[in-house]
Amino acid sequence: MAREPRAEVHILKPAGASYGTIALRVVVLITILVLVTWGAHLIRDALNLQIRPDNEQQVHRALMLGAVAYIGLLALPFVPGAEIGLAMLATFGAAIAPLIYVCTVASMMLAFAVGRFLPISALERLLSFLRMRRVAALVSRAAPLSQDERLELLIDGQSKRALSLALRYRYFALALAVNTPGNSVIGGGGGIMLLAGLSGIFSPLAALATVALAVSPVPLAVVFFGLQI
Amino acid sequence: MPQIVQVAAIALATLGTGAVTMSVMNEDIPDLEVPQGPWTTSGALDNRTFEILGRDENSGAVFDGHLAFRNGTFQSADCQEYCNFGWSDYQTKETDGVIHFTTTAVCPDAPHTVVFYGQVEGDDIALELTWTTRRWYWTNQIVMTATGEVVPTNGAGAEG
Repeated sequence: MAREPRAEVHILKPAGASYGTIALRVVVLITILVLVTWGAHLIRDALNLQIRPDNEQQVHRALMLGAVAYIGLLALPFVPGAEIGLAMLATFGAAIAPLIYVCTVASMMLAFAVGRFLPISALERLLSFLRMRRVAALVSRAAPLSQDERLELLIDGQSKRALSLALRYRYFALALAVNTPGNSVIGGGGGIMLLAGLSGIFSPLAALATVALAVSPVPLAVVFFGLQI
Repeated sequence: MPQIVQVAAIALATLGTGAVTMSVMNEDIPDLEVPQGPWTTSGALDNRTFEILGRDENSGAVFDGHLAFRNGTFQSADCQEYCNFGWSDYQTKETDGVIHFTTTAVCPDAPHTVVFYGQVEGDDIALELTWTTRRWYWTNQIVMTATGEVVPTNGAGAEG
């Protein structure tokens, strides 16, 4: 059965990109990161947020609200919710890193559980409701297929060697994909975990361990090495 | 295994991971360390009220307030404004005519603990305190110092 090429899973492949183009992309990415960091510092200075007895309760409520929004947004495909986490880190500093870490893991597992357990028709309707047409279309195509066929659909177009490697080292690939900067163009952490759940080839506990390790570098660096966001 | 059990297992494992992470990464900040000594519940400062002016050592923010001592208990009007700490037992010790005092106030409605340690010499008071808030996700501490002097007691406590 002939299938259309899956744009969603080929975006990472820099087909035809010259070294010059790749270098330019890296420079642009670094420039964006520097500008975002600079902006975050400006915002923090402007807010001059000091936690005092008279505002601690409000800060606590804002943090809880932000954490819930962070979990929800990060779990959505194509939503760069990680920026909320970075904004919270920039505002509250290293002390908030453990909370961000726990929320990130919870969010990733929420997306994974939705992909794995939510009836696929319900998932399609949910994604359509959220106006995520590309993902909804992908899920729609995957709906009538068996688990093996779904896997084939998700990695359609790859060479046998790449396929074999991807399957053998799927947890490593998952960790890499979740950590890749700019992965929001292929679905973001939420989209990647949703598809991981949908694929049915990841054990939930192993996926949890993978995610727990994969998202740990930034909060660990903030806590133990004093990395400034 | 039924799906609902699998979902519950994932939720439990995620929560467990979160709880372990928090217990490992969320470092506690100790309360103000009060020097050891022959602390007693003497009521040596009873029926005295002090007007104080202090500052937050980190932010530099300035605050004023009243401290009252009654029947072996202590109350800060400023702290009372933010949480219903009520009256806390205080202890004293005397060295060379200076009365040292310490007390710990615990907020019943929120995870705030305030530890005071100060000296009263004549009508003057100097103190330091830590206001520590221990939330499940972080511990925040505010360190303050203050000085002040005794004011006439109106008999109504610290609200003044």
